[in-house]
Amino acid sequence: MAELMLYTPVRLVSNELTYYLSLLLEVGVYMNGNSFDDAISEIKRKIGKKKVLIEPGDLYAYSLDASTERREAPGAIVRTYADEDVITTLKVADEKRIPVIPRGGGTSLTGASIPVVPKSIVLDLTPMDDIQVNIDDGYAMAEAGATVLQVDQACRNEGFFFPPDPASSRYATIGGALAENAGGLRGAKFGVMKNWVLAMEVVIPGGKKLRIGEPVLKWRWGPDLISLFIGSEGTLGVITRAWLRIYPLPEKVVRIMGVFNKLEDAGRAISEIRRRGYLPMMLELLDKETVDIVEEVLGYKFPKGEAMVIVDVDGPIEAVWRLARQVENVMKENRGKTETSDDPEKMKNLYLARQGAYAAVTRAYPSVLHEDITVPLSKLVDALRELDNLRRKYGLRMPVFGHAGDGNLHPDICFDPSDKAQARKAKEMFKKVGELAVRLGGAVSGEHGIGFVKKEIFLEEIKSVRGENYLELVRKVKRVLDPNGIMNPGKLWF
Amino acid sequence: MELTVIPQIVKFASENTREIGDVLGIGPELRVRWAEGLLDKGPVEDTIFYAGEMYPVMGYAEGAFRLTKRLEGLMNINSLARIGPIMKKLRVYAIGARALWGKNNEIYENALRDAVYVLRNLGVKMSYLFEEEPPSGVALHTYGLLKEFKEHAKWVQNRFRELGVKRVITLDPIVTTAFRLYYPEFLEDWDVEVLHFVEIVAKRIAELGIKLKLGRKEKVTYHDPCYLARTLGIVDETRFILSRIDGLEYLEPPRHGVNTGCSGDGGLELTQPLLARKISLDRVKELRETGAEKVYTSCPACIMMLRTGFNALGYRTDVNDLASLIAEAMRNGIIEEKPATVKFRRYHVLPESPKPKSLDSDDLAELLLRETDRCKKCAFCNVECPVARALDKLESRSARGRMTLINSLVRGDPVRPEAVLDRLYSCVLCAQCSQTCPVGLHVQELIIYGRAYAIYSGKAGV
Ligand SMILES: Cc1cc2nc3c(=O)[nH]c(=O)nc-3n(C[C@H](O)[C@H](O)[C@H](O)COP(=O)(O)OP(=O)(O)OC[C@H]3O[C@@H](n4cnc5c(N)ncnc54)[C@H](O)[C@@H]3O)c2cc1C
Ligand code: SF4
Ligand code: SF4
Repeated sequence: MAELMLYTPVRLVSNELTYYLSLLLEVGVYMNGNSFDDAISEIKRKIGKKKVLIEPGDLYAYSLDASTERREAPGAIVRTYADEDVITTLKVADEKRIPVIPRGGGTSLTGASIPVVPKSIVLDLTPMDDIQVNIDDGYAMAEAGATVLQVDQACRNEGFFFPPDPASSRYATIGGALAENAGGLRGAKFGVMKNWVLAMEVVIPGGKKLRIGEPVLKWRWGPDLISLFIGSEGTLGVITRAWLRIYPLPEKVVRIMGVFNKLEDAGRAISEIRRRGYLPMMLELLDKETVDIVEEVLGYKFPKGEAMVIVDVDGPIEAVWRLARQVENVMKENRGKTETSDDPEKMKNLYLARQGAYAAVTRAYPSVLHEDITVPLSKLVDALRELDNLRRKYGLRMPVFGHAGDGNLHPDICFDPSDKAQARKAKEMFKKVGELAVRLGGAVSGEHGIGFVKKEIFLEEIKSVRGENYLELVRKVKRVLDPNGIMNPGKLWF
Repeated sequence: MELTVIPQIVKFASENTREIGDVLGIGPELRVRWAEGLLDKGPVEDTIFYAGEMYPVMGYAEGAFRLTKRLEGLMNINSLARIGPIMKKLRVYAIGARALWGKNNEIYENALRDAVYVLRNLGVKMSYLFEEEPPSGVALHTYGLLKEFKEHAKWVQNRFRELGVKRVITLDPIVTTAFRLYYPEFLEDWDVEVLHFVEIVAKRIAELGIKLKLGRKEKVTYHDPCYLARTLGIVDETRFILSRIDGLEYLEPPRHGVNTGCSGDGGLELTQPLLARKISLDRVKELRETGAEKVYTSCPACIMMLRTGFNALGYRTDVNDLASLIAEAMRNGIIEEKPATVKFRRYHVLPESPKPKSLDSDDLAELLLRETDRCKKCAFCNVECPVARALDKLESRSARGRMTLINSLVRGDPVRPEAVLDRLYSCVLCAQCSQTCPVGLHVQELIIYGRAYAIYSGKAGV
């Protein structure tokens, strides 16, 4: 028992400990070094030793993702070049009860793609990156390792585009984005990954390959297993390829920036834009603290106010300016000062504050806790006011920006890790922000997922809102697909 | 100090640099041949034309690099490096190199001669130090032998003082970077003015208001060397020069200027030649797709990588130094037009250099830990990392992965310094990562400091 405790992730929630330990016992692998070595030798023999890395100089590079948390280095990396590599690995790993962590770009902000238990295999899917765009049938087929941006670019060559655009799209993969149900700026109009997938191929423990969904625009048999894998964070199986819906490129995009003296005015303008059905492609909000930090660190100058709202509308050339004027008018009616442009250079300038937010915050502060909450749109202003109160109470800087179009806010809690008191306050504040979201009827994760970083608060949210039964149901589903619990242990629900 | 963690080939290269003056150890006799009868000895009005340790012998490196392809699978680069000293003892080294690869060396020697011809015709006075020209020692910096580099730089500073050199004009952008950026970091009162060839040429062409006549129509493209464009921010000058040559149809490659793509060098051609070749092919394809008949650039290492790359893919496209193109056009005819003052912008796309308190392991560790702890692991730097691209995004040889590994090494994780060093050596130092990092980390320089730490730290077993 004492030995097992050693392997338990430090952040593990105490009331989850029993379940977690039972899972460990079930897997039963962590005490058996030999079976790990055997498994690796077998995988090497079957798929070729060049694809399997075991030198610590390689392993340690895979022990971190964009959460910047460190737990365990993997015991081996398997780099997959074909379905067979995935199938073999999941077959052997399941037999030998070796944990497997699928990994795409490793841009998870919640530690979803790094091991938290020793002697695991990280399955690196990035080498599988083929993309085929099929305009006639209205989809793009992408292998799991293709980046979201590569898919978008491949579509653009044909006059189409791929709408979900997480800010990490240059390196985040299709597999990772599906497994995280990622969204982005264009989410206000186009939603998230789950709205854009027609079919997927997945490999589940035991090495069984399944095709779920159909690569046609309409199909109806249920239950819909695609949804089961969306947002599953690699805990059910490995996505190897997906057939994705694509969308014609808009003829024209116009950008409108509005600056508001009062948060409430910005909030009203945002709800009014939605209420009138303008359906903007992007609807971003930045609070004063964000704009201040971007000014301080990157040296830009912006108009002053309590909030900045940036809106993109798109459409045919004849219609788009009419729509843009309507949005502008809503902002003006709510005392906003506006600037509007369709010139690419000027549009870039109108977006500078949002574009620079991540860089400014990460440059200025050695440590940042990136929060990611969603609240009902009607509660947006309440949330912003409450966040401001928290900021005052704890005395830490916390710029808030995000996709106001879908109620998704990113409060970034900035602190100096060498200052123990500050670090403690930041952690407390992080929790409070999550609680605030739940209290206002929202969710603790809009788009960054749960991983292990947010597991504690996520399970609290689930228990308080949905009850233990829900938890049990999900765990039963997990056991059907992954009876030995090898897939990404210690993450999300499991 | 006995250096044991570094690979044989790096040992070979650094010993040659210090003892013989060039990485391959070709020696001064062949190094100064290009200037015989062309230039006078000693500084003129405090100014010298500085050839550096690469241009005069790059053709031999090119030959050796081609050889590694032939020996692929038979012998690795480190075993090859063991043969060098034996051949030197037998006194067949330089003679052998010349017999084998003397022909390859012509275009590099011509580039130097052409540069001198162009500068002279633009009214620039200079001379050459011949055997007395001290090597910049930039390879020591590249490979992370920073203590040795510092010592060497001091010696060069003294040599220049003794010889009365105050101004240096060079064709080599790596040497320019060493003198302009690294020397001032490592020396207290380095006050030599260093100019790259294209800076002077662009300025003089503008002042004189001239155009050059190529005398034929040609589609050309230009490959921006990373040291010249990204690190030194020199871009406008080359485009201006190209615009002043009549007869050219200039085709810009997709990655250009400060966003240039890597040709695969950066020291990698010695430590990991196969990987270097792979990276160069990526760039070669891009340059070829411009439709240009000729490729020009301004760096000996880039010329070598692109020449061998085009050759490996079976393309006939010629790669040459921009100096040779200018010289050719100048020989054909000069058209007098109106003098003008042209403003050449200096681009600053890299963050500030990190500075350790000293080169002691503890100070290096402190710097590396502080900086790599700031890394957010966002992977923005990985997107354009040429090595990651060439290796299907292998994390341990990507920009972000190197930040993680340096951090691990300094923290004392059970990684072997040799293994970390090997991964740090598989980096072309193109500084794409430093340019992209939202946090403002100078990833490329941290990699060099990481190399130094792996070499000097007690943990490295030196
Ligand atoms: C700077 C920055 C900005 C970001 N912006 C956004 C944003 O705007 N919107 C947003 O939604 N997210 C954002 N993220 C979070 C993150 O980029 C996304 O969650 C992204 O989708 C992860 O993709 P990835 O390929 O990097 O996955 P990874 O980090 O490698 O993995 C994420 C999870 O998916 C699983 N997984 C990966 N590949 C597969 C597969 N093939 N099969 C099964 N499971 C798999 C992993 O096991 C892990 O649980 C951002 C992150 C950063 C660093
Ligand atoms: S871009 Fe900068 S912060 Fe991001 S992973 Fe690379 S080095 Fe780290
Ligand atoms: S790590 Fe940076 S400097 Fe090295 S090859 Fe990659 S991008 Fe270039």
